[in-house]
Amino acid sequence: MQFPVHKYGLIFRLVEENDAAFILSLRADPKLSKHLSATDNDLDKQIRWIRQYKQREAEGSEYYFLYTDRQNQPLGVFRLYNIANKTVTSGSWLSKPGNDEFTPIKADLFLTSLIFENLKFDKCFIDVRKDNKKLVRYHKMFFTVINEDHQNIYMFMDKESYQHKREFLTSIIEPQKQ
Amino acid sequence: MNIETFVQAFAEQFDEVPAVSFTPKTLFKENDEWSSMTALSVIAMVDENYGVRLTGDDVRKSSTVEDIYNIVLSKTNA
Repeated sequence: MQFPVHKYGLIFRLVEENDAAFILSLRADPKLSKHLSATDNDLDKQIRWIRQYKQREAEGSEYYFLYTDRQNQPLGVFRLYNIANKTVTSGSWLSKPGNDEFTPIKADLFLTSLIFENLKFDKCFIDVRKDNKKLVRYHKMFFTVINEDHQNIYMFMDKESYQHKREFLTSIIEPQKQ
Repeated sequence: MNIETFVQAFAEQFDEVPAVSFTPKTLFKENDEWSSMTALSVIAMVDENYGVRLTGDDVRKSSTVEDIYNIVLSKTNA
């Protein structure tokens, strides 16, 4: 798939070094960072992290996406990693505060179709912090719980569950296509 | 279907706001807890409890719990 991709009124592309300040602003946001591992508020460190990530991207082992509005204003990010044996883990799903409430849903629908239809993975794994109750509730609508520990719940989604998710989310954001 | 039951079910989609603080006139988007996840929780609750699929536009054009209730009611009767 060639990026950028225009879908649902959003533009999806791979992260670049000059996105570091935006990503850091998301990861340092008090509300968003409640359920994230700690991040140093250090722009140079974030730039170095992206530089290293671009090597993993070139090797095909990780993909970090950013989506913008039609005016190229950044709105959010998500990441695919642990790519092996037709399986992938998705995470780092962050959306800028103040976005339309359905923008992250559009991004998630794009992400899920990218995983199963474009990249042809068979399974997608996620881990969600237990205290992120709404996100747990959301993912449980489509994912199957495999395991949990004191901090996280681990889940997976297969192609069949993806079809259910695609139909459900499309009926909300593009009901005319149902 | 009555509005009291609906308001209660709507309020249960919020984790940090006491359910008793919700009324039909509550401007739910003004609550700090309102987010894409809350919106989907409400949509899933309506789907499960009333067999009605709300759309993004239904939620966008609504301000109060009663607005959502009226949309569900109109779709139930459609």
